[in-house]
Amino acid sequence: MKKTLLIIILLTSSFIYSQEQALGTAIKTLDGKTTSLAEFTAKNDLVIVSLWATWCVPCKNELDAINDVYQDWQDETNVQLVAVSIDDSRTVNRVKPLVNGKDWDYTILLDTNNDLKRALNIATVPLTLIVKNGEIVFRHSGYTPGAEDALYKELKKHI
Amino acid sequence: MKSTINLLLGCLLLPTLLFSQENIDSTTTSTTTFNKFFNNLTGSFESNAQWYLNDKETGQFEEEEHLRANSYLKLNYYFLSNFSAGVQVESYAPQALLNYDKELDREVGLAQYYINYRTNKVDATAGYFYEQFGSGLILRAWEDRALGLNNSIRGGRVKYTPFNFLEVTGLYGNQRRGFDVSNSDIMAFNAELNIGELIDSKFFDQFSMGLSYVNRKEDFESTSLDINKVAIPESVGAYSARLGLSFKDIYTNIEYITKEKDVRLNNIRPDKVSFSENKLFDGNALLFNLGYSAKGFGLNYTFRRLENMSFHSQREDRNLINNPTNRATLNYLPALTKQHDYTLANIYIYQAQPGLYVENYETPRVKAGEIGNQIDVFYKIKKGSLLGGKYGTKISANLAYWAALNVDVTDQDGMPYFSSDNLTYESDFLNFKNKIYSEFNLEINKKWTKNFSSIFTLIDLHYNSDYLVEANGAKVDAWIGIAEGTYKFGNGKSVRLEAQHLSTNDDARNWVGGTVEYFLNSKLGVYFNDSYNYEDSPFIENSKIHFFNMGGSFTKGATRVSLNYGRQRGGLICVGGVCRPVSKNTGVTLNLATSF
Repeated sequence: MKKTLLIIILLTSSFIYSQEQALGTAIKTLDGKTTSLAEFTAKNDLVIVSLWATWCVPCKNELDAINDVYQDWQDETNVQLVAVSIDDSRTVNRVKPLVNGKDWDYTILLDTNNDLKRALNIATVPLTLIVKNGEIVFRHSGYTPGAEDALYKELKKHI
Repeated sequence: MKSTINLLLGCLLLPTLLFSQENIDSTTTSTTTFNKFFNNLTGSFESNAQWYLNDKETGQFEEEEHLRANSYLKLNYYFLSNFSAGVQVESYAPQALLNYDKELDREVGLAQYYINYRTNKVDATAGYFYEQFGSGLILRAWEDRALGLNNSIRGGRVKYTPFNFLEVTGLYGNQRRGFDVSNSDIMAFNAELNIGELIDSKFFDQFSMGLSYVNRKEDFESTSLDINKVAIPESVGAYSARLGLSFKDIYTNIEYITKEKDVRLNNIRPDKVSFSENKLFDGNALLFNLGYSAKGFGLNYTFRRLENMSFHSQREDRNLINNPTNRATLNYLPALTKQHDYTLANIYIYQAQPGLYVENYETPRVKAGEIGNQIDVFYKIKKGSLLGGKYGTKISANLAYWAALNVDVTDQDGMPYFSSDNLTYESDFLNFKNKIYSEFNLEINKKWTKNFSSIFTLIDLHYNSDYLVEANGAKVDAWIGIAEGTYKFGNGKSVRLEAQHLSTNDDARNWVGGTVEYFLNSKLGVYFNDSYNYEDSPFIENSKIHFFNMGGSFTKGATRVSLNYGRQRGGLICVGGVCRPVSKNTGVTLNLATSF
């Protein structure tokens, strides 16, 4: 009986917790402080989240391509891009010099044991999300040259 | 007790009742209920199927099952704002893909489950969980499906963050081995202290330290009849201390680990697990990292020394002939070299050498660990300069050097080709002379026009196969040149061409390779690649043979499907610095991954 009751409660909980909890997964800043995507998206209405790694060539191509037009995107849509590196301890020390070496203007966060990657159920990187007012409104995995144009079209729908 | 439960249930039910009053129409209620259930349910499904074919060039596929698939279904359910629960069902049907862990032996089974409670201060999990302390050098539980590795821990874990500058973690459990768990108990503690936040430092951007303890307790059944045998400890602990500092553009971190004494593997027959019970050996690790980075420039130096640091939840798993996929490893010891994407750059790959192994030749060869370092440089030549051009030019370089620890072996009771159980050794702390791997690589990334960009890569490497593969006196010196160009036609249409050459007079000699990849739009792409060994060499199986792959992939939203046909070269498959050997095979592969 209690079990049935419990199941009823669980089924009828009146909020959507899944996104909230997944975006709340603890990740680190480059300075080792704990933060989360929820914290970042609370401060910014329109956010692109890109999960990437230093060893992933398409990921770097995507972030390079966006970097070339990032200023224009920001002027038009006021978007903020947060690039979450899933590099583990083998390559995580490359993140900071690589980001500076490439002159990227993004906020960089670290998901070293892939807790966020798991919470978002991601099989491969790159993965791109558009988060509007704290809610995931678009999701795309993989990058092909020129796909940033499609992303921008999508982004403009959510201004 | 009972009344408390009733009260609790009452409180939980209250919002539900209020909610249902708003929706008088019962059909609406049930649809919203249904929607809500699915809104809080997330998950993923992944399946990697392979159909192994007979091949005129490489011969018949000799095993029974030609068609196999590894599949994973993961479901997470979030409820009551702080809770989540989940399962992972895995299937290896009719058996696992070639070269996967033989413990993954069920057609379908419940592999993992968990329930988690999380608030700002507390994160508690019962069931299976993943974890990493520091850089993972002392403890890392993670999943890598491409490697067939999942060393999660089943038990309980609590993370407590009393202040924003302190996090403590305690855990207890058994480690996953295939569909089962280890016969040993794992207990571990970790504390992360962010001193920078505690003292509100304006000087340091980061000032943090960490302390960890990991203990493995496993029974030991003695088989030795030697009167000099010693008691083998059930409990083996490891301690880690680390410090991270960052000041303006400079950052550094350092970690030291010491592991208590344990018995060593005996290598009388390499494929049979046995132990030398007369002497015990401890282990240690030292990791140092120093970096500088400013706008347009970055530099990172890493040094690491590992001695007898293989740490598994069961002693027998240290025997890598029986455990090529490194199941139930407690710590993460990746090769600290650059990770490559190109096929020819992945023929001679370094794999870290952390463990203690004695190989019996005329005099015993004691492999006790590795020492080495690497340096990375990233630089962007400014836009508008002579070399930078309109878009700027990005340059990155990596230099890595790794050596085997230099050891002085004592074995008075040994004789040629047989070491004794009384063997001991002393190692030098800083001695880089026994080179086993070195690599220099340079990558230039250049965008020429709005639509055309290219990457040039040059690699020069030395690979000591005598030490890294088998004692045959062989060494490989090779250089690899790679050029790739991408042209965008607009509307997501693009083509990528890649040409590679590997030059060496050693092993199977020269290779040439190439890739053509064409994307019809941002969702659909096709590719063909080939690596061809065009010279005669004593290694017939890798001489004058094409290793090719062709296929296509389709991506939409969070779903990706790809289909490939090709011949796979035997060798190491490495992901994130961890490798597993694969045997040569030919076949059709279908990969499907989706999440919801």
